[in-house]
Amino acid sequence: MAILGLGLMAGGYYISKEVHIGFLEDLAKQGIPLDLGKTISAIGVFLIVLPLLRLFYFNPLGDAITNRTSELENTFSEAESLRQEMQKMKSDYEQRLNATEARAREEIQAQIREAQNMRQSLMAEASAKADEFLKKAQEEIAMEKERVLVDLRLGVVDMTLQATERILGENVDDAKNRKLIQEFIDTAEVKQ
Amino acid sequence: MGELFSIGRSLFAASEGGHHGPSYEGLFLYVAIVIAVLFGFLTVAKSGLKDRVFVKWPTQWLEQLYLFIENMCVGIIGAHGRKYVPMIMTFWCLIFVSNIVSLFFPTAPTADLSFNLALALISIGYVQYEGIKANGLFGHLSHFAGPKLGIGLIAITGMIFIIEIISELMKNVSLSLRLFGNIHGGHQAVESMNQLVPYVPMGFFLLPIKLLTCVVQAMIFSLLTCVYLSLVTAHHDDHEHDHDGHGEPAAAH
Repeated sequence: MAILGLGLMAGGYYISKEVHIGFLEDLAKQGIPLDLGKTISAIGVFLIVLPLLRLFYFNPLGDAITNRTSELENTFSEAESLRQEMQKMKSDYEQRLNATEARAREEIQAQIREAQNMRQSLMAEASAKADEFLKKAQEEIAMEKERVLVDLRLGVVDMTLQATERILGENVDDAKNRKLIQEFIDTAEVKQ
Repeated sequence: MGELFSIGRSLFAASEGGHHGPSYEGLFLYVAIVIAVLFGFLTVAKSGLKDRVFVKWPTQWLEQLYLFIENMCVGIIGAHGRKYVPMIMTFWCLIFVSNIVSLFFPTAPTADLSFNLALALISIGYVQYEGIKANGLFGHLSHFAGPKLGIGLIAITGMIFIIEIISELMKNVSLSLRLFGNIHGGHQAVESMNQLVPYVPMGFFLLPIKLLTCVVQAMIFSLLTCVYLSLVTAHHDDHEHDHDGHGEPAAAH
């Protein structure tokens, strides 16, 4: 193409300098300056310049822009894959967090249940002990009451004897009196 | 070589030599300046490509321009339009730098109709080449005949064919004259403004609109080339869609 361009430039120079075309002179008189030699040479220049521009400037520029665009696209796709990976990790973590929370809730519920069971057993045990203490206390009360009643009976017998001695003015036979009183007391009903 | 700088005028110049454009040597001196500026800027911009992030402003500008052209190609031509980016970029850069050169020098390549015609011929020639490559010679020529009207209306088909061929040839004229008119017209406007007050460059006030013209004209030329390419390679894109979809209709975009 460069050789063709050089040929056209040379041909254009020749036409411009040596060849006279009638209608071009008429056009020039009408204010339309046209020199076909310059036109042909200009085409030659274009045919030389175009490959040079394409080869040294426009193709490298296009390649640089394409490379940069593809780099950007790669970066974006990489960022997108990282984002997807992050989403996946996030959902995994959320699942694990949910599982952990559920497990913790179960543990808490189990502990609560165990505590409730323990409370019930402790309460039952305490209740049984309280019943036992109450029963023992009641037995002790009953024994004490019996003992007090016996003491009371004895006290009554002594007072009765003392009162009787004073009334009769003599000391009756102690053994005989005691026997009589005891018979009386045995027959008498104790009112509680 | 004596007439090299005698023709045309910059924003600040005060003399004008006519409407015939620069000489052959003058034109190609300006072409050399344009190419030197373009290659210099691109070399500086390319040195920033080594960085992972483009930190040099020429690299950032070039990247933005590349992405803009790429979006334009893909948006207008279709998915296969990416392969035309170097061609469209070359058009855009050459025309834009030439237009910028026209702000600071007495004339510029794009202020010369012959140079613009060369660009237009390359553009339309490339479109025809791509059309033939995409549709085959007969398929490409059948585009010019319009819709199939039947044997009874063959005369109309022939007329449409001739009109379309003329229209295709006129694309060269419209592309080149539009660019020439805008850039050369800008110079003429500056000259007229400069003559309003002696020794005062009143044309300087046209700088913003001339800057806008520089960008817009480069974009229009590139955009129209994309449109012409899309017209001749539209079926090519459909075939690719059909091939991808195993014969099923392509999904709407």
